[in-house]
Amino acid sequence: MRFLSSLSLAFKLSLVLSLIVAAVAAAIGGAMVDRDRQRLHEALRGKALLLARSVAVTAPEPLLRGDSWTLYKMLRQLTQGPDGARETALVAAMVLDPEGRVLAHLYPALFPIGLPLMADNSPERPRLQAELAMRDSGIFDGEGFIEGVAPVQASGKNLGLARVRLSTLELDKETASAGVSVLLLSVSIAMTGIILGSIWSIRTLRPLHTLARSMEELGRGVVHPLPVSRGDEIGQLITSFNRMANELDEKRKLAGELAANEKVIALGRIAAGVAHEVNNPLAGMLNCLSTLRAKSNDPELVARYLPMIEMGLKKIEALVKDLLIELRVEDAREVADSSCLEDVRDLIAAEIDPARIEFAWDNRLEPGDFMNRPRVQQILLNLLRNSIQAMPTGGRLWCRFWSDQGKLIFEIEDTGHGIRPEDLGRIFDPFFTSRPTGTGLGLWIVFRLVQTMHGSIDVNSVPGRGTQFRIHIPREPRLATQPA
Amino acid sequence: MLRIFIISATVLLAALHGADAAEPTTTPIRFGLTAAVVRENLDLYERWAAYLGRKVGRPVQFVQRRTYREAMEMLETGEHDFSWICSFPYAKYRDSKVFGLMAVPVFEGEPLYRSYVIVHKDRSFRTIGDLEGRVFAYSDPDSNSGYIVPRQILSDLGRNPDSFFRHTFFTYSHTETIEAVAERVADGAAVDSYVWEYLNRREPKFTAKTKVIQRSETFGFPPLVYRTGVDAELRARMTEALLTMDKDPEGHALLAELMLDRFITAPSSLYDNVHLNLDRR
Repeated sequence: MRFLSSLSLAFKLSLVLSLIVAAVAAAIGGAMVDRDRQRLHEALRGKALLLARSVAVTAPEPLLRGDSWTLYKMLRQLTQGPDGARETALVAAMVLDPEGRVLAHLYPALFPIGLPLMADNSPERPRLQAELAMRDSGIFDGEGFIEGVAPVQASGKNLGLARVRLSTLELDKETASAGVSVLLLSVSIAMTGIILGSIWSIRTLRPLHTLARSMEELGRGVVHPLPVSRGDEIGQLITSFNRMANELDEKRKLAGELAANEKVIALGRIAAGVAHEVNNPLAGMLNCLSTLRAKSNDPELVARYLPMIEMGLKKIEALVKDLLIELRVEDAREVADSSCLEDVRDLIAAEIDPARIEFAWDNRLEPGDFMNRPRVQQILLNLLRNSIQAMPTGGRLWCRFWSDQGKLIFEIEDTGHGIRPEDLGRIFDPFFTSRPTGTGLGLWIVFRLVQTMHGSIDVNSVPGRGTQFRIHIPREPRLATQPA
Repeated sequence: MLRIFIISATVLLAALHGADAAEPTTTPIRFGLTAAVVRENLDLYERWAAYLGRKVGRPVQFVQRRTYREAMEMLETGEHDFSWICSFPYAKYRDSKVFGLMAVPVFEGEPLYRSYVIVHKDRSFRTIGDLEGRVFAYSDPDSNSGYIVPRQILSDLGRNPDSFFRHTFFTYSHTETIEAVAERVADGAAVDSYVWEYLNRREPKFTAKTKVIQRSETFGFPPLVYRTGVDAELRARMTEALLTMDKDPEGHALLAELMLDRFITAPSSLYDNVHLNLDRR
């Protein structure tokens, strides 16, 4: 069945149809052969009876005269067919006396005159005995022959028995050859049907192949309409396909436009955010500057306002720095193995006070676990710095990295103040921050980078107990690491 | 024995005797033929009849008769004027004054023939005595070579010919007797030596399947006779036509076809040993 199901539809269709036609032809032919055989068999039975009767009718006179020679010649006459051809079906003809002795036999050398046709213990003897007792003619069907039997009677007295045996061999042979003819015919019908059917089906189904190819191309984004040259089901199918392809194409274009629009909108949102974040300190600073200009001789005022102006500028600097980092790292692409993470470890170790914060580093990544170095480094730095800031009074910081089924897993856990449940949904939004000096861009950058690498982020946080970030990133294939 | 004997009507119709002289010359002369000769060669007999007709000045017609008895009766009733009969009926009725001896064929230098006992060539019988309990074919109950002689041989052996064989039958033709043996309907048979030799040379289809295992003494060859009542002049012309055949080229050729040397006259005593069998029967 598996083999069948892998065959071409064109071949299968014609195969099945041709086999059905051939089977019907064979069945009809077989029935006709069988009917013909029955008819011939009936004719042969009639002939056997007729011959036996004709012998029985002419036999009494020579039989009464003891004229064995005439009896024999009568039997021999039976072997002459109607057109002088030899009657090949005749295998035995005989005249027996009432005791079953041969009076004349077509084969006198084998069945001599005056001797019993068969021994008393012959298996055929009971039938012969029954035949000898018959008052009327009859027909017997034997294995390979038909026997016509007619009593030889004169003046109501049984003188003997005429027996004519016709072979059904010729009949069987004819039936067999007719059967073979029917079979050959059926087979040739099937063969011709399969060949012609396959050719026709292939021609008919060729547009379907084209359609299948076009669908494949459509999947790859190539759209070109197919010519419609027919009005049947396949033609309708092609028309539908063309319509579908056009619609798909339009949808794709629309989606592209939408995506572009979204980018513009997102950019606008960022720009608005930046403008807002910059505007806040800017307004304070401008206030300070105008106050200072009015009272420039007041040293106390200068001492109070200058740090405020510095703080506003610092805030703007941090914002711009983070934005620059984001822009730089988002397009960065440099594949390196896990050893590159050691730089991160060194950087962080330098930033923390070992007396306050216990820093644990467990890197189980293999040398073959490749990653996009700048992005991963940035992600880890942002997360680790967040953790450090979440533990102003000290705590514990764990880093655990390992790989599982082609994914790199980075887990960072701290014992900091945690995230409030109501803030959990907003921590990745740009400009969201719980710290007065924060830009609100650190986790947004983490989120953007993980998203770019088709990874995922899990956050677990219990306020007052700590926070755990777990990041899954697909491993980079080494071959794609060569910078283009 | 389911043999039917035809009771011979030996009464002569005296009224027929004087009528011959008035026969018109276009009325065919009926010439009877019996199993004593090979009757199957119709064309030869037609040509021979034509030859004789020219010689005697009247059309001659050979008439085939199935049994000797029949042929004899045709002669007696006057249906036939001439007949080629078997030696035995001749010897039997030669003193009846119904017919007279006209000519005797000379076969292989002598006006004699024999009875051949034949069997199928594949069988191992060596004499007629080996055929006890077998099927035997006779040609005609009035045939010398085909009936009288084999029975005589058996009698001479001290056996009863009526019970010696399991089964016997008549074919009324030497040719068919040979066929019966060739097809093994009969295990053995007795036939006219002339017929067997003739067929063996001309149409050996059946004789080739038989072999001669016993040859009898010689007997006078089946004779050609005339009816006593036939016109004396016609009789003389017919006799002359037969006796001179070998001198005539056409007649000579016909004789050759018949496998005979010539026709001669012979004394009735030629058939004495046939008569002897009759006496002993």
